[in-house]
Amino acid sequence: MSGLQGLMEGRVVLVTGAGAGVGRGVSAAFGSAGAIVGIGVRRPEAAEETAADVAAAGGTPVILRCDVTDAEQSAAAITQLVSDYGRLDAVIHNAVSGRSSEATDFENTTLEEWEDHATVTVRATWRLAVQAYPHLQKTQGAYLLMSSPAGIEGSERAPFYSAVKAAQRGFVRALAREWGPDHIRVNSVAPLAISPALENMKILEPERVKRIEGLVPLGRLGDPETDIGPPSVFLCSDEARYVTGQTLVVSGGRFTSL
Amino acid sequence: MATASRTLVITTGSGIGASVAERLRDRGDVVIETDPSLDLANAHAVSGALGSLVGSGTVDRVVLAAIDPSAFRAAPITSLSEEEWDQAAEYPMRTAFVVLQQVHTVIADGGRVVLILPTVATTGVADLVPLCSAVEAIRVMAKAVARRWGARSITVNTIEVELAAFMLGDDVEGDAGGVDVPVVPVLGQPALPPGSAVDDVLGLLDMLATPAAAAITGALLVADRGTVMQP
Repeated sequence: MSGLQGLMEGRVVLVTGAGAGVGRGVSAAFGSAGAIVGIGVRRPEAAEETAADVAAAGGTPVILRCDVTDAEQSAAAITQLVSDYGRLDAVIHNAVSGRSSEATDFENTTLEEWEDHATVTVRATWRLAVQAYPHLQKTQGAYLLMSSPAGIEGSERAPFYSAVKAAQRGFVRALAREWGPDHIRVNSVAPLAISPALENMKILEPERVKRIEGLVPLGRLGDPETDIGPPSVFLCSDEARYVTGQTLVVSGGRFTSL
Repeated sequence: MATASRTLVITTGSGIGASVAERLRDRGDVVIETDPSLDLANAHAVSGALGSLVGSGTVDRVVLAAIDPSAFRAAPITSLSEEEWDQAAEYPMRTAFVVLQQVHTVIADGGRVVLILPTVATTGVADLVPLCSAVEAIRVMAKAVARRWGARSITVNTIEVELAAFMLGDDVEGDAGGVDVPVVPVLGQPALPPGSAVDDVLGLLDMLATPAAAAITGALLVADRGTVMQP
């Protein structure tokens, strides 16, 4: 992706949930932009493909054990990046609950299922912000959250996923105001992209995927690296120096009424 | 449903929810109000309380205006402990889930569910990050529920009022659960002259109870007299 070349040259970023899907694609895009990319994953062996993508794109991959539900792990990941590379310019929080693609039976489920979603998407959103703050303050960096169109329109099938993704949008607006005086920018991207769950669905329920694609004016689901990656890089780069508190919907036109 | 004959109001015992309950009762509506000491994040307790309050029947309308006062404490996120973050941000989200889940069992087909929330999340407010996160989560949870319950002709809508009005209701000189009303930066002047937010909310509740509003669901109605006009 030549358009990204040099945009994040020498900058250090941490991407959570970077082992697959949007996290993997966004990591590769930061690699194309010349960044040192901390690939945050629960199991380091699951990050090798992402690391290869980042390196092939021209970036420097750094695999980090980073289960965002574990405060010590996320703190250690940030500390290691800063210790090894001297700075932290952006955190991209993309990790979601392993149950995020499951349907939620709202009327019959329990708080335990809610906590599965909230721990990764709400608690870790706050905790990563607190842990990254002193470093982002030094670099006047950026905090980017991967939200979702479901967090805007509310999904019948996924009420918990919708709620926690909405929480991130409220978080972004408020924190952008709180951190504005520090020149730290806080934004979110609401992507509609191929995920491992959708790849599975393509095989098991191809008609359902076709129906979803039919709802997208551009006629296809987004590619994590080439469609979701560039806007994410842009929002963390100096090119977006005057953009904060925003949600950028990257959905091929599927969602237009923000 | 011409008018709501039985209304369940779920509040923390102060603020706009308590004022709405009092005004509805004063004008002769049948109001069932939850005990302010009820732990709204405890599914078992909420289920038991609603069961005993509502009995074997149903309610036609539910008004939910219950954010724990600790969520209104203004503080930078970097100063919060895990417990403080949980209480201010995640506890209100949990209560919304638990209450809405239990409401499903007591609301009549064709009933109206209305959530009342403060406008803070629409624009974001520094030092109120937990509250803004919670409010936006609850608002979108309501939309998801509106989609789920539409088949029963139940509507689920949200009314937002300014933070001070939410915290104080009619009790403008009162104590909002022991928490000072945070200073919210002026983001615009109201287009309309000042008035009672409780009156404004009651007007919208009445409107949403009419057959004319049967097709309105998942909506956000902002009763801030035109201060923040959303895009």
